[in-house]
Amino acid sequence: MNLLWRMLYRGYRIISWIWYRLPRRFTPAGLGMLAALAIASVVSLDTENTVAYQGFALLLFVLLVAVTWGGFFRLRFTATRLLPRFGTVGHPFHYRVCVRNPGPKTQIGLTLLEELADRRPGFEEWKAVQLADEKLVRSFRFKQRRRANPFKVANIKAAAAPPLPPNQETDVHLEILPLRRGVLRFTGVVLGRPDPLGLFRSFARAEAAQTALILPRRYPLPPIALPGSMKYQEGGVALASNVGQSEEFVALREYRRGDPLRHIHWRSWARTGKPIVKEFEDEFFVRHALVLDTFSDDPHSEVFEEAVAVASSFASTIQTQESLLDLLFVGAEAFCFTSGRGLAHSDQMLEILASVSVCVSERFQSLERLVLNHLGAVSGCICVLLAWDEERQNFVKKIRLLGVPLLVLVVRAPGDGQVLEPGPMRDEPHRFHTLEAGRIEEGLAKL
Amino acid sequence: MKTPPFLLGAALLFWGWQTGFLAVSAVLALALEAARFIKARWEFSDEDFSRIWLFCSLATLAATVYAFTTNDGPASFRGLLQDPSLTAQNLASSSSTRTAISIIRWLPLAFFLFVAAQIYSSRNGVPLETISLILARRWRRAKKLGQRPPESRVVNVVPWYFAGCLFAASAHASVSKTFFWGLGLLVIWALWPQRSARFGLAVWAAAAAVAIGLGYAGQLGLTQLQRVLANYNPQWFSHSSGRAVDPWQSRTQIGTVGRIKTSGEIIIRLKPLEGSPPPLYLREASYRTYNGTSWYAGTSRADFVGVNPTTNLTYVLLPNKVNKFGVNIACYLPGRKALLPLPSGCGRLENLFAFTLEWNTAGAVLAEGPGLVIFDARYGPGKTIDGPPDSILSRTNEDLDVPPREQPGLSRFIEEHHLAGLSREQQLRSISTVFQSEFSYSLWQKQYQPLRPDETPLSRFLLQTRHGHCEYFATATVLLLRQLGIPARYAVGYAVHEGFGNSYVVRQRDAHAWCLVWDPKDEAWHDLDTTPGSWVAEEAAQASPLQSLSDLWSRIMFEFSKVRWGQTHLRQYIFLSLIPVLAVLLYQIVFKKGRSRQRQKSDESETKPAWPGLDSEFYQLERQLVLRCGGRQPGEPLSNWLERLAADPALAPLHGPLAALLRLHYRHRFDPLGLNESERETLRREVWRGLGALEGLEGTRSSV
Repeated sequence: MNLLWRMLYRGYRIISWIWYRLPRRFTPAGLGMLAALAIASVVSLDTENTVAYQGFALLLFVLLVAVTWGGFFRLRFTATRLLPRFGTVGHPFHYRVCVRNPGPKTQIGLTLLEELADRRPGFEEWKAVQLADEKLVRSFRFKQRRRANPFKVANIKAAAAPPLPPNQETDVHLEILPLRRGVLRFTGVVLGRPDPLGLFRSFARAEAAQTALILPRRYPLPPIALPGSMKYQEGGVALASNVGQSEEFVALREYRRGDPLRHIHWRSWARTGKPIVKEFEDEFFVRHALVLDTFSDDPHSEVFEEAVAVASSFASTIQTQESLLDLLFVGAEAFCFTSGRGLAHSDQMLEILASVSVCVSERFQSLERLVLNHLGAVSGCICVLLAWDEERQNFVKKIRLLGVPLLVLVVRAPGDGQVLEPGPMRDEPHRFHTLEAGRIEEGLAKL
Repeated sequence: MKTPPFLLGAALLFWGWQTGFLAVSAVLALALEAARFIKARWEFSDEDFSRIWLFCSLATLAATVYAFTTNDGPASFRGLLQDPSLTAQNLASSSSTRTAISIIRWLPLAFFLFVAAQIYSSRNGVPLETISLILARRWRRAKKLGQRPPESRVVNVVPWYFAGCLFAASAHASVSKTFFWGLGLLVIWALWPQRSARFGLAVWAAAAAVAIGLGYAGQLGLTQLQRVLANYNPQWFSHSSGRAVDPWQSRTQIGTVGRIKTSGEIIIRLKPLEGSPPPLYLREASYRTYNGTSWYAGTSRADFVGVNPTTNLTYVLLPNKVNKFGVNIACYLPGRKALLPLPSGCGRLENLFAFTLEWNTAGAVLAEGPGLVIFDARYGPGKTIDGPPDSILSRTNEDLDVPPREQPGLSRFIEEHHLAGLSREQQLRSISTVFQSEFSYSLWQKQYQPLRPDETPLSRFLLQTRHGHCEYFATATVLLLRQLGIPARYAVGYAVHEGFGNSYVVRQRDAHAWCLVWDPKDEAWHDLDTTPGSWVAEEAAQASPLQSLSDLWSRIMFEFSKVRWGQTHLRQYIFLSLIPVLAVLLYQIVFKKGRSRQRQKSDESETKPAWPGLDSEFYQLERQLVLRCGGRQPGEPLSNWLERLAADPALAPLHGPLAALLRLHYRHRFDPLGLNESERETLRREVWRGLGALEGLEGTRSSV
């Protein structure tokens, strides 16, 4: 069976390679000619009943002439991309590419194409996606929409380059539509020259490695009252801010046994001759935990992407000037990132969320351990879950037993019409919400 | 991708020229290219495009059914299902090819309405979900579930239609190169707008010329290659199968080792008429000369004569014959030309829809007509259509001819059974008795030792093995009778013995051979079947356990064939019932209530939508003011303009009323609630008053 999967994977590599190359190499007219050639090649087998073989021969040689012409193109150029640092999934952005033509002739009629790093998956990742697809969409159910290619990271339109004068730089404007979050890696810039018939492009390439970080999609959130109240934060803002530079300093007093040595005020000790320590005001403020469930069989699950988008929406919306937000999830290991009150900005949180991926090496219990160890410090907890199974219900039950206010959001596959039983959240149904992938905005508006 | 002007029309004309629909194509081309001069455009919604697409799809489907049925599709596929021989495969393949070619040829006609809808609509493309059933279902599903519908894509169908026209133009067989040159011209024409700006006209023309030149050489090479391959083409296809009987020759299985394979396929259906008994045999042909292991029609080969129908599809074979019995026969005509299976003594055929009907002196009736014929055969004892035996005095007497190789065996058999010296009736009875009592029926021939030089398969059957199938018995009987001086012929056809409700069916395995013996008393040929009666049971034992399923399928195919070959009126009914459906669809497309027909302006950006308030009379006032004082500056609002005009002392008294009118005009124009009746009337009245005042000013100025 594994051999069959390997063969299919090999087929996928070949087909995806062809599928990527064809529209780059052939113009729309060339693609049309290619399709016509494919049809004519079938029909022209019958030379007795049709004259399609004449058309086949014509199309074949028209395309051959076009492709052969493509072999005689040499062009040296340099390109610099003026690329924004961040982009967002689903939101197109524009940028410029400065192309310098060092040659003695003006180059006209060229097309600029971007070259992205190959993001095709390895065998295991590809197989996991296929298996997950089989669970979601049954064979020959054409009315069920298959999800878009999860390995296609962006749509970049080819741009017609203006005339490139010799020894000058020319700007070419491009538009890119990011389809996946994460790092978008550009490897080079390609200038395509069509043949005289306008069917096939020959390429000249320049190295231009660059990256842009594509942040997760974010949804507007209504003004929500997050659960929980202010809570004592041991160490005050010193935990979250610069150690020894606390602004919550109240007074000086004599040293008592047990005071941390770092609180000793050395100048006062020197002046008075006895140990004096700084006294701080106890810190009470709101600190929320944003728990992201990363446990899914499908490495490119639409549900998981939407869950990340929901987490990002909270991370970017919650006002962190007066509160802290801890992002808790399990990736290759357990992670906890805190933002707010000058500790970190929500942008950094989004950068982290841009790179989060599903966890296949750990079990859900690892997230449970991480969260339960952390709950002592938080005022409330927002859980973004990918399912509502027994394991997750137990997890929620434990949090509730600890008395931590909770908001549970369960993201579900599109079209999953099953009504979920709130389970441990039944006494607070207004804090239990299901969000359907594809209709997240609608779901969040009901919060 | 935009097609150059008049390219589509040229492609349509090319299609018409190549496929013989020139007049039709000229009309279509004119209709499509007229859109360049006619500015009227239709507002088609997505639903309208869906309906038109459905209409075109239905037309294509109807064309497919028509092409399939007129190209022997059902008959050839029935043959393929029932007997998947190479011949049947060839027939089915050829039928499919003809069907496909017919459909391809009609494609521009079938989808004309769709492309015309796009060209005459105010849109530049057709939403993909109106064409794709899958996308349409996904849309419906998303709508039902309240999800976001998939992204809509618009496709311009004109380039596809252009390609379809060229494709359809190729659907004909021709050795002429006009298609190539026409195609080359149209392709280059289509590529003209795609040419690269980097290259001059000369380079482009050179590239195109090289491509076309190489293409021409390439298609010549393909033709040569095809010829070379054709020379290697072996005789792949076997002799025709099924019940296609050759009127001139019958190859027997005499001498064949192993089991004779028979099929349970129902090939003929009979229904006795008016209490008539069913005929025992249905004869297709008789043969006169035996050579090797085959029977030949001999001199009857060339004596086919045509029979003209009398009134009411009736063919009279024997003019003065009294036909006591009648039977309704339904049989297929493989290749639309085959021998009719008829009862012995058949004198008249009624309700037979055939193009031509011929018969010969060997009793074969050859009909050319639809793939299935259903007719009434009237028959009775006595005279048959077979010609009398050759005169004894004639130089060659085929009905008494015995091959010299067979004579020793036959003589020995006659000697062993003391047949010589008996009367004619005794001889006939004795031969029958011997075959019934001493011989047995068998479909299996064992591999014996090789034949001796003086031995034939028939003599071995007569003298040694004494078992065989009907061809052995019939051949032996014919030759024995001839050896005894009695004219006889070898007849092939079918035995009728299996009832099926109130009718009878004849299967492939009921194919039978028997003997025709001449009776000089009534000067008629009579059937003489010496095959042991056990042959029916023996053949039936070969029946498949799934025969009932096969019979059901056969019935379905028979009913389908009846429809296909016009033996019922169903086709007419279906056609007639389709007309109102298509008419309603067409009405919905063209005359749907509420659709507005708009005149397109030369520049689409200048198209004025029917905004409310455009009927305001204030515009007349504005025009008059423009004539008097000059127009507004670019970007200058009406209110500022009016204030500027008020600087003219002559217009100063009008400033107040004009400002009030402007407010009313703005409300009429932009207020969602609009003006009530009285306000509307005020606007109208005050405008007229203002116009009057302006005229008064004009009059004052001219008098001054």
